Amino acid sequence: MWVGYTKGLLKEIGIEPERLKMFNLSSSMAPAFKDAVEEMIEVAKKLGPTKIQKKAA
Amino acid sequence: MIVAERKPFEEIKAMIEGCKKILVVGCGECVSVCMAGGEKEVQILASQLRLAFEEEGKELEAGETTLVRQCDKEYLEKIKDNIDDYDAVISMACGAGVQFLAEMYDQKPVYPALNTQFIGVAEREGEWSERCRACSDCVLAYTGGICPVAICAKGLLNGPCGGTNDGKCELSKEKDCAWTLIYNRLDKLGKLDNIRKIFPAKKYSVQTTPGRRIHEAFKEKE
Repeated sequence: MWVGYTKGLLKEIGIEPERLKMFNLSSSMAPAFKDAVEEMIEVAKKLGPTKIQKKAA
Repeated sequence: MIVAERKPFEEIKAMIEGCKKILVVGCGECVSVCMAGGEKEVQILASQLRLAFEEEGKELEAGETTLVRQCDKEYLEKIKDNIDDYDAVISMACGAGVQFLAEMYDQKPVYPALNTQFIGVAEREGEWSERCRACSDCVLAYTGGICPVAICAKGLLNGPCGGTNDGKCELSKEKDCAWTLIYNRLDKLGKLDNIRKIFPAKKYSVQTTPGRRIHEAFKEKE
């Protein structure tokens, strides 16, 4: 519910909502965690960088 | 409580076009409860605006603050020392709060971030419904605590109309017929005789515009 809402917030400001995804994992699910990270890396590579350059605090 | 919802992002963004520094002001009362203009929503809107401006290569500094409420001067005064640092203010209060803030700081552009909708109740988490039109002439004593002005699509004081259909309104099968609800409630209360009471035309004269009320204790004595 809240993930969908947050995707909507991103879309409103021109950021691809696919950049956000929630995975339900327990601490014992290392392989699934690795798969999730790889999936999101692929999404980031496909979409490329956003124009937003966050300045270091 | 007063129920409101946030305006579309593009509409809010267009209001502050050309501003370099804005202050987003939330309200800690009704609009916090209905998740439209409280502290969290202030953070979300300010973040969205910063990111959206940055995405377009523009600079925007968005300050954030949430007041206890915006319908009392004593709380609005909390921003008097830093409001001059900003080009404009976005108020996330209901229409009353926006106007009071704009009145107190009338040298500063004040923009509304919400559309104020109604006086209502929380049906369940994330869902609210209208219960009161603030008509200044309450009839709930005779209608079993169900308001025909707010709940009936036609606002009929003497219902039901011919459009009632198995407890639903002719306008929509999703919508309950207020007068069927009233009948059933009066039946439960053993006060069905109330349904025979004929109300005269509504006293719109008591709805002064703009409404104003002075507590007895604060009225000047003769």
